[in-house]
Amino acid sequence: MVQLVQLSKSYVRGETTVAALCDVSLDVGRGEFCAFVGPSGCGKSTLLGLVAGLDRQTSGDILLDGRKATTFTSHDWTVARREIIGIVFQAFHLVPGLTALENVSLPLLLRGESGGAVARRAEEVLEMVHMAHRRHHRPGELSGGEQQRVAIARALVHRPKLLLADEPTGNLDSHQGTEIMALIGSMTKAEGVTVLLVTHSQSAAQSADYVWTMQDGRLMSRTTPRALTGVA
Amino acid sequence: MAWLTLFALLVRVHLTQRPFRTALTIVGVALGVAASVAVRTANIEVLHSFERAVVTVAGPTTLEVSGGDLGIDEQLITAVREVPGVASASPVLVQTAVRLDAAGQPGGALQVVGLDLLDEFERRGFRISQEGAQNPLEDLLRADSLYLGRKLATDWKAAKGNALSLQIGPRPVQARIAGVLQDQSDRVSSWDHLAIMDIAAAQVLFNMVGRLDRIDIITESGASVEAVAQAVRANVPPHLTVERPTSRTKQVEQMVRAFRLNLMVLSWVGLLVGMFLIYNTMAFSVAQRRREIGIYRAIGMTQSRVAGLFLLEAALFGLLGGIVGSLGGVVLAQKLIGLLSRIVSDLYVPLSQGDTSWADSAELMQAVFEGVAIGCLVSMIGAIAPSLDASRTATIRALAPGDYEVSRQVRVGAMAYGGIGLLVASGVLAWASPLGGVPVLGYLATFCLLGGLSCLAPGCVTGWWRQNLQRNRIPGVQGAMRDIAVEHAARNPGRNGVTVSALMVGLAIMIGVLIMVRSFRHTVELWINETIIADIVVAPSTWLREANGGSGTKSLPPIWRDRLAEIPGIAEVDTYRDVRVEVQGQRVAIVSRDLRLHARRSQYLVRQGNSTELLTQAVERGGIVVSEVLANRLGVQEGQSLELMTPQGARSFPVVAVFYDYATDGGKLVMDRGLYQSLWHDELVTVFPIYLQAGVEMEHIRQAIAGVLQQAQDQALPPLIISNAELRREILDIFDRTFLLTYVLEAIAVIIAMLGIVNTLVTSVLERRREFATLRAIGGSEGQIRQLVLWEAAYLGLVGIALGLIGGGLLSVLLIKVINKQSFGWTIQMILPFGALAQAVGFAAAATLVAGYFPARWAAQQPVVEGLREE
Repeated sequence: MVQLVQLSKSYVRGETTVAALCDVSLDVGRGEFCAFVGPSGCGKSTLLGLVAGLDRQTSGDILLDGRKATTFTSHDWTVARREIIGIVFQAFHLVPGLTALENVSLPLLLRGESGGAVARRAEEVLEMVHMAHRRHHRPGELSGGEQQRVAIARALVHRPKLLLADEPTGNLDSHQGTEIMALIGSMTKAEGVTVLLVTHSQSAAQSADYVWTMQDGRLMSRTTPRALTGVA
Repeated sequence: MAWLTLFALLVRVHLTQRPFRTALTIVGVALGVAASVAVRTANIEVLHSFERAVVTVAGPTTLEVSGGDLGIDEQLITAVREVPGVASASPVLVQTAVRLDAAGQPGGALQVVGLDLLDEFERRGFRISQEGAQNPLEDLLRADSLYLGRKLATDWKAAKGNALSLQIGPRPVQARIAGVLQDQSDRVSSWDHLAIMDIAAAQVLFNMVGRLDRIDIITESGASVEAVAQAVRANVPPHLTVERPTSRTKQVEQMVRAFRLNLMVLSWVGLLVGMFLIYNTMAFSVAQRRREIGIYRAIGMTQSRVAGLFLLEAALFGLLGGIVGSLGGVVLAQKLIGLLSRIVSDLYVPLSQGDTSWADSAELMQAVFEGVAIGCLVSMIGAIAPSLDASRTATIRALAPGDYEVSRQVRVGAMAYGGIGLLVASGVLAWASPLGGVPVLGYLATFCLLGGLSCLAPGCVTGWWRQNLQRNRIPGVQGAMRDIAVEHAARNPGRNGVTVSALMVGLAIMIGVLIMVRSFRHTVELWINETIIADIVVAPSTWLREANGGSGTKSLPPIWRDRLAEIPGIAEVDTYRDVRVEVQGQRVAIVSRDLRLHARRSQYLVRQGNSTELLTQAVERGGIVVSEVLANRLGVQEGQSLELMTPQGARSFPVVAVFYDYATDGGKLVMDRGLYQSLWHDELVTVFPIYLQAGVEMEHIRQAIAGVLQQAQDQALPPLIISNAELRREILDIFDRTFLLTYVLEAIAVIIAMLGIVNTLVTSVLERRREFATLRAIGGSEGQIRQLVLWEAAYLGLVGIALGLIGGGLLSVLLIKVINKQSFGWTIQMILPFGALAQAVGFAAAATLVAGYFPARWAAQQPVVEGLREE
């Protein structure tokens, strides 16, 4: 589903060039749940940003669902995010003035869908994340855990093939974090969605099929979640 | 459909999230639209009203033979009827009477049209109701029968058979309302605002037996109107004009073009300032919603859709502001039509003020539609840059923690260079000639000037002000508060630059126009003091009234001169005749007077040489003196000659002098009365300027004049006997009335600029709730928070006012030396009215602080805990 070939990203800060990602190559198959762990600043979020097309690599290739994304224009990436990618952020990033239902409906509206089907699908997904009863509440009226459930519903409402989750438990307590990871695991498994999870939490990474550890912008080793706990 | 749903959803949220700012922006747009719609509507309506009257009364007329103010001999009608291609030729008299109320006091003006009623009954499209008349034909032709327009009859509560007291020239006359006049189809028309009489009765009533104002010709079907016009011209005296009726409308349109254009451009200032307000609102909106834009981009919204979202939001501001503004503008226009009609009547041609029925018609819908279109257009133009900025949002940075805006500071230096470039362009454009008589490049220079200063605004917000303030630090907490406020303002040069620009534009225009108007008034005062020397002026009682059309009411008997000269205490009496004729297609005032007497007693402000010598030369050489405006328009100079069409044929007159004149916009030429009479055979006098002997008492002489003239007239109303001081005051009153509208339009622009300041400060307070809460948490008082916001307002106000003063000064030079000169041809001596400037600056400073006070109070009252909790 996702293939990275010698992917690199560097930033220029004044006169210094900072390498955020160096020669990362990997292949994540369809339906696989892959987690990336590592300390802050190791390049995890940069990696996810590049796969989402939110940022541009300095060198290397990205293949997305068999298509070479290196030549994607900004518009192509926008269409990709609208059609095959769903994203969950650490800070939830729900639109403040919209209700939960309206937030979840957004990706469908952006795809050009309209009418009762949009509301029905959004309600259905909210039901799946156990937030149907809060559908008319705005983000400011929801707890952190509830906001993240709504964000997951928004990320999956348009049935993406790839879910990118950037520290989805980072702003939650451990109990809420466990619930959210379980939710992501169950919802993506059922639909065969490929998941790339970025986290610094080893417990969050337990839902993954396998885990890549990262350091200084490089992939260090691939391991199992269980082994990760053992190492810890 | 899905996109509309999405846009509706997002725009609704954005508008309702900040209802105060939304309302503020809509009010700003509405004010700008209201001013523009009102001026545009009134401008159009004033001319439409004139045009409707021309077309309605003309009916099927294809050509008109006219002699201007001097009228024509009715014998000519026979010669015209004999011209091949003329199907019919009808006599027409158009004169103005003044209605007298029960106490004999002058009321509204009434335009009376004299027609050959028997001949015209079916032709012109009017109908008269004569219910109860036993002998309608006899009734029609009775000497006192007058048919009053339906609207006037209703307004004056006059019915058939009622007597109507009128003043015609100096004479009171009694007419009898023989019936009510209306359009044949019963619809509202210009007939409703007129009165008609049989031509013979009208000639008697207006003391114009044997004279006509016009001959209306209907050409034979199939005949070329132009060919017939040529043939008629060959058969009538050369000074008469033979034109289509519509040419009168075109002539008036041409006359008032510069006046209307200047008014129109001034009314756009509100829109321009409104554009800054929209830019400001949308720029803030983009900055505040940067993260939200990141979210939209992350879940699949394209760049163009992001831009479209903001443009649509701005269009919605424009739509709502446009609806409110155009409705307000329509109401304002109702008031404005009266004022504009009066100004145009004062300065150009008499206009009826009655016909404003347009408000019931489709034109109302058109005005609203145009207002909405203007509102949307202005809003969307103002939102282009912020929308593009929104669409270019770097998603990953927008979603990352921290302040996105900090890394996106406006390029102050580049903008400053751009600003300097625009200022240079403005200077270059100011030297260019007008295009087609319109100072297009002058207007462009004005926009470059304001644009250039706007580009310098961000630099001024960050620049030397701050360093200067830091050097002169106020000790203690006051100084600290001021420094924090200034630092904050300087950290956001982009958005604060826009606020400063809006204030600068409003103030610059206010100051520029103020200097221009004051300089103009000063010049007119100088001109009055130098040229209006006569101690007393005897004039027709309607001379200073508006809508004083009609040659029959604008003249005095020449024999009065001798009667006046005999009064002890009077040294000399001049005879001043002022008639409007067409010279090279332009309506020009020909003034004739005793030039030797004028040379002895008074003067013209001549461009070159000595007035007394030149006036004497004019008498000796049979020459003329020409006003500066006319000289510029016709392209003649001192020493050249000018050809005029006189009743004796084309004559060439040496131009002895060119003089400064501010009495008429159309231009004026002056000749000796003897020369004028020998060519035009017009004995009448418009006014008698009287010079008193030294030491005599003015009031005493005035009473003596009234007494003598009372005896000279048979039961006539007394003429106007005004002193020099009263005449000067009257001229300045007309001047002030002309510029009243200018002040109103300026005030609207400044109010919109003030809304911009409130908008900026409210948004700034919203953004800094956490900062204020932190200050409160570490011991800052509510008063200190208030001070902080007020200091910021004061700083922005200071920069805006400083730029406004510079801009206003430069703008006044452009207005006086370029736009006014090219539009009207007047030379204006520039002065700096320091008192008025201090008032304008004081007003702007006070308004800025008032605008800052409410956000400051609100900021101080915000709960500390909530402010600290905010992300």
